[in-house]
Amino acid sequence: MANKIVIEPVSRVEGHGKVTVYLNDQGNVDKSYLHITQVRGFEKFCEGRLYNEMLAITPRICGICPVSHHLAAAKACDEILGVQLTPTATMLRRLLHNAQFLQSHALHFFYLASPDLLFGMESDPAMRNIIGVITQQPELAKKGVFLRSFGQKIIEYLGEKRVHPNAAIPGGMNKVLSQAERQLILSQIDQAIADSQLAVNIVKDYITKNKALADSFANFDSSYLGLVDANNNVEIYDGKLRLKDKNGVVLEDKFAPKDYLKYIEEKVEDWSYLKFPYYKKAGYPAGMYRVGPLGRFNAAEGHSTPLANKEFQEARKLTKNGVLSGSLYYHLARMIEMLNAAETIKALLQNEQICGNDIWVNGSVTNEEGVGVIEAPRGTLIHHYKVDKSGQIKQVNLIVSTGHNNLAMNKAVFDVASQYIKGGNVTEGILNRIEVAIRCYDPCFSCSTHALGHMPLELTVHEADGTVRELLTQ
Amino acid sequence: MKTLVLGIGNDILGDDGVGIHIVREAAKHISSGDVIVEETGAAGLSLLERIKGYERLIIADAILTDNTEVGKIHRLTLKDLAKTNDSITPHEAALRTTLEIGNSLFPGEMPRDVVVFAVQTHDVDHVTGKMSRPVKAAVPEVVRMILAEIKT
Repeated sequence: MANKIVIEPVSRVEGHGKVTVYLNDQGNVDKSYLHITQVRGFEKFCEGRLYNEMLAITPRICGICPVSHHLAAAKACDEILGVQLTPTATMLRRLLHNAQFLQSHALHFFYLASPDLLFGMESDPAMRNIIGVITQQPELAKKGVFLRSFGQKIIEYLGEKRVHPNAAIPGGMNKVLSQAERQLILSQIDQAIADSQLAVNIVKDYITKNKALADSFANFDSSYLGLVDANNNVEIYDGKLRLKDKNGVVLEDKFAPKDYLKYIEEKVEDWSYLKFPYYKKAGYPAGMYRVGPLGRFNAAEGHSTPLANKEFQEARKLTKNGVLSGSLYYHLARMIEMLNAAETIKALLQNEQICGNDIWVNGSVTNEEGVGVIEAPRGTLIHHYKVDKSGQIKQVNLIVSTGHNNLAMNKAVFDVASQYIKGGNVTEGILNRIEVAIRCYDPCFSCSTHALGHMPLELTVHEADGTVRELLTQ
Repeated sequence: MKTLVLGIGNDILGDDGVGIHIVREAAKHISSGDVIVEETGAAGLSLLERIKGYERLIIADAILTDNTEVGKIHRLTLKDLAKTNDSITPHEAALRTTLEIGNSLFPGEMPRDVVVFAVQTHDVDHVTGKMSRPVKAAVPEVVRMILAEIKT
């Protein structure tokens, strides 16, 4: 008789992010699904609107990383106008984007990942959370708060304190950075770099002590996708896309982001609203690739800043072919990126040009199609718009980071569930391991869970006839 | 009393935007310098910095429960709110957990007085730009309740 296990960790919205595990007669895992609900109707909602409205509308897709959508929309609109940004405008957009990386990665690491890394996955769930970190390591928690608010402050300097970002406009930026703001950021940047380095060290220490786990936990073969610069360093705002295979062999070297449809196709599965993108030439599902910190790490050859690059090269030596495929390595790659973001912010601000007044280029609708691709903290983000001659939106196609990772997250859940659920035996620690695997990817389950959200982790084992055999709540 | 009136939601995502619409309307009737009205599309731990430094917090939000009619208004205090410590994303920690974290990190700087007005909603998964009729109809009443709350 088949059993069905449902882990429903999130939210007041039904089916927001739910894991279903089917067991076979022996009580071992037969198959598993990670369901991610997406908001629906967005493409339709955009049709008929003016292209420049997309910068304000698309950030509403996600309350978690609105800046990413804002910038991808801005880049798609630059292309519709056919304009080249001024050097200052490009620098300000990079500053905005790196500030977002810093605060997003800091939030994820200090508030969410660190309890598992500091206390261990099997530790008492009552302490294995941010409250536990605050109680036992208050200084560390405060560093998390500092990095997050530091990144947030930069975002506000560039856009005013608004719900939805308004910093960028088609053809440039809205507002110059003042010398006073520049000096304020510079006065704290060395602290931000030091704190980011500390976070890298915490993950490195964890990996040294738990090497066998890092190498076995949700470790599977896939390809890796990310933007790189001309020197094959990790790039987050511009650059070209690079795809490598499981052994680190380059499959597609620096293709133009606007050609993404030549390389990526999306599959629809009837059990998920979120589509499954895959590498076209390899087919489905063999064309599974990963994006996000580990995707970028494995697709690139280094970082453009010295401290981050040193860590990058060191991390590469952890395996023979330089490819890190265990899901826990996401944390290491993420923290190295946070260090890179802090160093990049410093480098940008040390250049006088960042306070320049020349931040916008006028233009009119020149191209009836625009593709904006950036690396969001969670991975490659593609905005593709088609407009008519007056600039009205005819068609919108978005591929979001969590979408690219959809196949991989499902694979991670399956691997961990299969490894730890044996003979129908399901314990709290095992449940948490499945969550830990999902957390590595830092998925964003779209928007609508707010302050009231009631999300205990629940595990229900259903008999085939629907009766509940076991209920675990965390 | 230094008060933050915070609308939470996504104004293009159907009924999800009700909290935003409520505070936009309430803001038209608020003149006290002690009362700040803000909107946010984020939630969970990212509220921490937003609510820090206020004595009182009044939230307007959407709610989904199984057993009440759409458009019904709930007035909730901290005691009524669920407590959660664990979640897949940090952006979704419940308000009570967020306040608890805030109190440990910044003792004395978190609002002591917290009231949530939540409207029972219907559809929060579809991007429509509009609220359903019963949810929209609840907006003026919640605005009145918030204005009365501020006077207390």
